[in-house]
Amino acid sequence: MSKENIISNDSFEFYKVDDSASEVIAAPEYSYWKSVFKTFFSSKIAIFMLVIMLFVILMSFIHPLISKYDNQNMAYINDSSKWYLRPSLEHPFGTDDVGRDMFDMVWAGARTSLFIAIVSTLITTVIGTIVGMFWGFSKKIDVFMIEVYNIVSNVPFTLIVMIISFTLSSGVWQLIFALSCTSWIGTAYFIRVQVMIIRDREYNLASKCLGSSTSKIIFHNIFPYLISVLVTNISRDVPHFISYEVFLSYIGVGLSEKVASLGRIVQTNAKYMQSAPYLFVIPVFVTALISVSLYIVGQTLADASDPRNHMI
Amino acid sequence: MTEINREIILDVKHLEVTFVNNKKSFRAVKDVNFEIYKGETFALVGESGSGKTTIGRAIIGLNDTSNGDIIYKGKKINTHLSKQESKDLTRQMQMIFQDPAASLNERATISYCIAEGLDNFKLYKDEKEKQEKIDNALKSVGLLPEHKSRYPHEFSGGQRQRVGIARAMVMEPDFIIADEPISALDVSIRAQVLNLMNKFKEERGLTYLFIAHDLSVVRYFSDRIAVIHKGRIVEIAPTEDLFAYPLHPYTRSLLQSVPMPDPRIEKSKELLIYDESKRDLSGEKPKLREIVKDHYVFMNDREKAEYEIKLEKMIKDKEESNK
Repeated sequence: MSKENIISNDSFEFYKVDDSASEVIAAPEYSYWKSVFKTFFSSKIAIFMLVIMLFVILMSFIHPLISKYDNQNMAYINDSSKWYLRPSLEHPFGTDDVGRDMFDMVWAGARTSLFIAIVSTLITTVIGTIVGMFWGFSKKIDVFMIEVYNIVSNVPFTLIVMIISFTLSSGVWQLIFALSCTSWIGTAYFIRVQVMIIRDREYNLASKCLGSSTSKIIFHNIFPYLISVLVTNISRDVPHFISYEVFLSYIGVGLSEKVASLGRIVQTNAKYMQSAPYLFVIPVFVTALISVSLYIVGQTLADASDPRNHMI
Repeated sequence: MTEINREIILDVKHLEVTFVNNKKSFRAVKDVNFEIYKGETFALVGESGSGKTTIGRAIIGLNDTSNGDIIYKGKKINTHLSKQESKDLTRQMQMIFQDPAASLNERATISYCIAEGLDNFKLYKDEKEKQEKIDNALKSVGLLPEHKSRYPHEFSGGQRQRVGIARAMVMEPDFIIADEPISALDVSIRAQVLNLMNKFKEERGLTYLFIAHDLSVVRYFSDRIAVIHKGRIVEIAPTEDLFAYPLHPYTRSLLQSVPMPDPRIEKSKELLIYDESKRDLSGEKPKLREIVKDHYVFMNDREKAEYEIKLEKMIKDKEESNK
């Protein structure tokens, strides 16, 4: 054997291992909201519905400002040439029995209905979430609240709304009050159940051991987990309130003749279903468009805001 | 260990924890007594459902006690404490949880997780000091400061458990309850986490209550061991004494259940199965009593006599085999 082939300790040297190298995470940083939008915009139907939803909402909040529509203005009530005009370029949705432009009326009505639904949902969700979180967290509050819930939820909702709108007279704010004065308890109950599911998880105990207060645990440990169920709830509530407003106006306990609302338009024009179907079909179609687009956008957003759907 | 003047940091006396469900009640922990000395690692060992975790949680205040005293540094802590007292206690006593995936808030960044305790007690002067403390805590457990903005689900199990340790250590506690800190971890990283815990013990003079069911880990890690069975402590002894001279039949069957790495011994091993109904339970009510120094066994007078004979025989056997 030649000398070069002999392997001795001198031929080796210690290799310094860098421990921290194995700790590096190569994956790109996770960001909650970025992932939410990425997941949301990966759905083509959702984008389509979002465009429709934005169009309907913008139309109903901007158009009445331009048209200055007044439901009580019946300038053409004696001019029979302006009655029952079919949809045309001048009147895209036609005119009704007293010559009011349906295009202006529908958007003004959509504005009222959307406003009522959004404000009622906002009130219901905010009160319901705050009450529900403390309700689910504290066993003492639970004993009391569950009885309140049992009583309130056993009184028919329609009855409560009817009594309130009769006693307070009809109007937008009265209707909002009637719609949200008891429905928050349903949201609160829903949130209570969700809170109870995650209340006793170990990370809440860990926070308690670290000295976190109950409100800190509720808002930092529990609230983030509720975002996706809250979005689901909101996306269900808004169309629900819109159709409820339509229903109430239709049975005659909702809004008065002073303001246009989708419910009233559908109710007054229901009798022309055969003679002038556009008077009935168009407002119903707009109502459906609002409800469906809001619902689908909301549901997709709810799915997207659940981190379990962020993994590819 | 030097035996003279050991300072007792935690003293548990006649502890009883009862869970009440409607009208049924269940006593999970029955008349438990032990002392933990400053600077030692005291292990609680037992099968699942024996009440180990319940004891740990009762000490830190997560479970209410139905009887008995828990005395920490001379002060009873299982009663109603003033805000300041419970604040001080929370700072000094911390817990490491079993499941690192469940014990970290999935929706918060690592920076928030570690700073949670710091924020609660305002343990920093300004934002800069807070960030420094977080960085140091991460470095001390072998993680990188760049991990601060990450979320727990991006980490491996071992890394997550180290975040859990960092979170407890950043509070600079004196006493740590480690509730099966490594049983949810992969075997390859158990040693890493245990060594980390030992490092902190040496650096900061910590005292551990180590809850586990893995006897080989307990033997490696702890100074004294308490064996618990059905909510009752059956034997307390220094680690080597317990492994050399197990006296209570439950301890013996528990020790024997550790698998041997030699298949021939493992196969020929005759299993001792602990069955309380087959035991001779005559005589007065047993109590936890000292048999030799520092070695306590749950027994009555009749059993004490039996155990003394057994102990002598075991010591003799040991000496002979050493010759």
